[in-house]
Amino acid sequence: MMTRSDRAMRQSLGFHLVAASITLLFAAPLVWVLAASLRQPGAPPPARIAWLPDPPAWSNYAHIFELLPLGRYMANSLLLAAGAVPLTILIASWAGFAMAQLPARARYALLTLAVVVRMIPITALWLPRFLVIKELHLIDTFAALLVPAWMGSSPLFVLVFYWSFRRMPAALIESARLDGLGALAIWARVAMPLARPATVAVGVLTFVQYWSDFINPLLYLKSETRYTLSVGLRVLQQMDLTSWPLLMAGVVVMLIPVILLFVLAQRAFWIEDQIGGVHGN
Amino acid sequence: MKYHTRYNLSLYVLLAPFLSGIVILVLIPAALSLALAFTSYDGLSAPGWRGLQNFRQIIDDDLFRRAVANSLVFLALTVPLRTVVTLGLALLLHRSRRGIGLYRAAVYIPTVIPGVAYALIWLWILNPIYGPLNLLLNATGLPAIAWLVNPHTALPAIALTALFQLGEGFVVLLAGLQHIPDEYYDSAELDGAGQLALFRHITLPLVMPWLLLVIMRDLIASAQNTFTPALIMTSGGPYYATLFLPLFIYQTAFDRFRFGEGAALTTFLFLGVAALIAVTYRLLGGWGYDDSV
Amino acid sequence: MATERWTMRRTMHYCLMVAAMCTSACAPAAMPAVSTEAISFMISGDAAEKAAYAQLVDAFRQRQPQIAVTLIHVPGQSDYRKRLGVDFAAGTPADIVLINYRRYAPFAAKGALEPLGLYLAQSNLISEQDFYAEAIAPFTWNGVLMCIPQNISSLVVYYNRTLFQAAGLNDPQPDWTWNDFLRAAQALTRDTDGDGRVDQYGLGTEVSLFRVAPFIWQNGGHLVDDPLAPTRLTLDTPAAREAIQWFVDLQVKHHVTPGAVAEAAESSESRFLNGRLGMFLNSRRGVPTYRTITSFDWDVAPLPQGNSRAGILHSDAYCMPRVSANKAAAWAFIEFANSAEGQRIIASTGRTVPSLRAVAESPAFLDPGRKPANSRVFLDVIPFMRGVPVMETWVDIEDLAAEELERAYYGQASVDEAIATAIERAQPFFAPPASTPGTQ
Repeated sequence: MMTRSDRAMRQSLGFHLVAASITLLFAAPLVWVLAASLRQPGAPPPARIAWLPDPPAWSNYAHIFELLPLGRYMANSLLLAAGAVPLTILIASWAGFAMAQLPARARYALLTLAVVVRMIPITALWLPRFLVIKELHLIDTFAALLVPAWMGSSPLFVLVFYWSFRRMPAALIESARLDGLGALAIWARVAMPLARPATVAVGVLTFVQYWSDFINPLLYLKSETRYTLSVGLRVLQQMDLTSWPLLMAGVVVMLIPVILLFVLAQRAFWIEDQIGGVHGN
Repeated sequence: MKYHTRYNLSLYVLLAPFLSGIVILVLIPAALSLALAFTSYDGLSAPGWRGLQNFRQIIDDDLFRRAVANSLVFLALTVPLRTVVTLGLALLLHRSRRGIGLYRAAVYIPTVIPGVAYALIWLWILNPIYGPLNLLLNATGLPAIAWLVNPHTALPAIALTALFQLGEGFVVLLAGLQHIPDEYYDSAELDGAGQLALFRHITLPLVMPWLLLVIMRDLIASAQNTFTPALIMTSGGPYYATLFLPLFIYQTAFDRFRFGEGAALTTFLFLGVAALIAVTYRLLGGWGYDDSV
Repeated sequence: MATERWTMRRTMHYCLMVAAMCTSACAPAAMPAVSTEAISFMISGDAAEKAAYAQLVDAFRQRQPQIAVTLIHVPGQSDYRKRLGVDFAAGTPADIVLINYRRYAPFAAKGALEPLGLYLAQSNLISEQDFYAEAIAPFTWNGVLMCIPQNISSLVVYYNRTLFQAAGLNDPQPDWTWNDFLRAAQALTRDTDGDGRVDQYGLGTEVSLFRVAPFIWQNGGHLVDDPLAPTRLTLDTPAAREAIQWFVDLQVKHHVTPGAVAEAAESSESRFLNGRLGMFLNSRRGVPTYRTITSFDWDVAPLPQGNSRAGILHSDAYCMPRVSANKAAAWAFIEFANSAEGQRIIASTGRTVPSLRAVAESPAFLDPGRKPANSRVFLDVIPFMRGVPVMETWVDIEDLAAEELERAYYGQASVDEAIATAIERAQPFFAPPASTPGTQ
């Protein structure tokens, strides 16, 4: 009896040791960036590794906001994401729901379409898509950046909803149909409330996608007043030759919202909760 | 029956925005791109028909060969490594226990970091003099490495940075592992099977469809995701050591305004990815959709 | 279930709200008042350069308030060029764009630019004779002036006077030689903290054909066989080869410039700005930024001389895309920017060596109270100035030559190998017809 619990404890200790060192490994880059953002700009290279610069140059953060209207860029990025997230959830979940409900042949055709679309290199689409956007007279508008939401932002999100809806007990939907509910009503009243983890996960990933988007603003935006944070970061990189610390401060500003959002919403990513939610019985 | 037809029709209505989006944003542009591949379009004057000349020219181009070779080496370095690491992490962290949320979050967080920021972070970490990685190596008495500066280490260094963004696959494999009923293990353990045997005969076969999905995803992603790191960290250098296909396409089309050639290169990239996927599909067998979904 | 429905309704409400917000915010910028004409002007450069052009736009607004000029700023050079190409392809370029003489040829050849020669001829404000002929010539395409050059800059040596004095060096003389230059660089290259690593380099430079070119000319060599109708690179002549070897030796033999690792860790220009680099080769464009330096004294000197004197033209011009919808307003701005008043504004920010003789010779440019004190070196070199060939594929040639030169400069290939490869790889870009070059 004793030996057995001993072994369990040793195992648990071993697990936490391994897991903690992995955590450290994955977190190290972030810690380094934070440290780098607090270095004195223009200082010669340090002789050895300094975890927290002494004194920390917090003024770097104030300085980048003076150098560039980062507040405005940030607001633009947030506005963009705030538009993209609900649109994406709406369109991707509709498509995922329809796919899950359609007969097998249509379903497989659509699955194949989604996979093929995901295979097309995005590089291939830059120029022709630019021409399409131009024909739609959307150059230099937020709408040009928002346009991918029209297709649910990524076939992946449609697939996530599809998987989520396929896992739902068929009986639930059957009974709703027997009650004579239409597709939209079943989607809204039965399917979506049960797919909350998928919704949160897609929401977070959509936010990240638009928050990170760098090539589209670079191609479509002209007015600096509409620049987003990722373009701002690129501007910062090209603007100041001397300043790793300032650049890293910009990186930290860009990281904080996504990491915060992820930490808040992370439960949705671990599927066991979803299974718990769906197969609650 | 009437209700049934009406119901299916309304399903297609729900599908309509997505499908129309795909047509306008992907299929039409893709067709346009394919058509441009046979022309000498420069964006300034009307496209002129060139037949297969773009393709012939590309095949003779040393830089194209270099870009293809680099892309393949990158794929060969990252896909197997990423798969093994992802599976290892999922195996380690798939069971619920105290603190598991923190560990999983740490593994996933690099994946949500925006591409530009991620590339800049690594550009700093790999900085040969200021960078923390070389300072760390110095502190432990190891020789510093020139990382992105040396033509021999630049590509492996970028591959290294790709090892930390594997959250998507991690989540998929966690789900896959949680789908394996505990009873399988219990009964096998009663039969006296060791850990390795458990992994080989129960875990691996059952998680295979999910693993395949992750590998496919990685193949597609690794063929394209070299763009931002290469653009921001090395611009394809030193001496073309990190010139990957997407960057080469970008340079041909947007630096040189040879959109026709760029479109032809894109066609190659697309066919290459399709071929890789077909080969993987054959080698590992089956989509895995039918049983896993 | 009630809460569910409430949540759904709230979600819908949120969607609508965002959609409403977006339709207002995403719409194109507010329509200008009817009487106002709107044009856009695209530039690249760092914060100080941007401020310089913003000043110009402000001055124009006071002169002609009925024309609203939007300044479009793309900081990086390569992003700027991409924007140009994409905008032209989409038919939506800015009404006025600044383009370097090495890069306007593809646009001119495709008829994408509105020729400005006639506009200039009819102008009451400016005339061609007021400009330096050396700046006008490269923008003349098939006998027609395409763009109006804003400047006649060239490569000079920026040097840290404080470091020169600390090393016991005198200020460079106007007729200093390659050897004087090397000796100064050697005296300035130092390991200041004694850790075995050089912390202060004597010299820093971009490694490119454009940087080596003046030294090749000074040594009696040439870049191409015929500057007006080039058919091959001629870097393999003994004179050119010797100059390239001398340039490469600054790094591989004398180590007075940062090596590949040091340069990647911190760029030479950054080292110069931080007071850890003795001399830096650059054109006039660095001045607005260098004027922010407070920690040391600096000035400019001419390039050292080889067997003869030679300088290299750096010039950007105001070009007008042919598709511009408001050519009259666009010309009004170009005309103003290149009038004595407009050029004085930009010159006083330090950004340009004015292409108008009168402004170049005026205090707006030469003011000894503003750094660099020795601005006259930019004017002294004009009679000795040469340019690179103006051809559609010159950018390709320069790019691949830079890759090869860098290999030699950082000791990864011999000078002969680099030259041979550069010539071979460049050849397809000389082959006729020029409009459909082979790939690299």
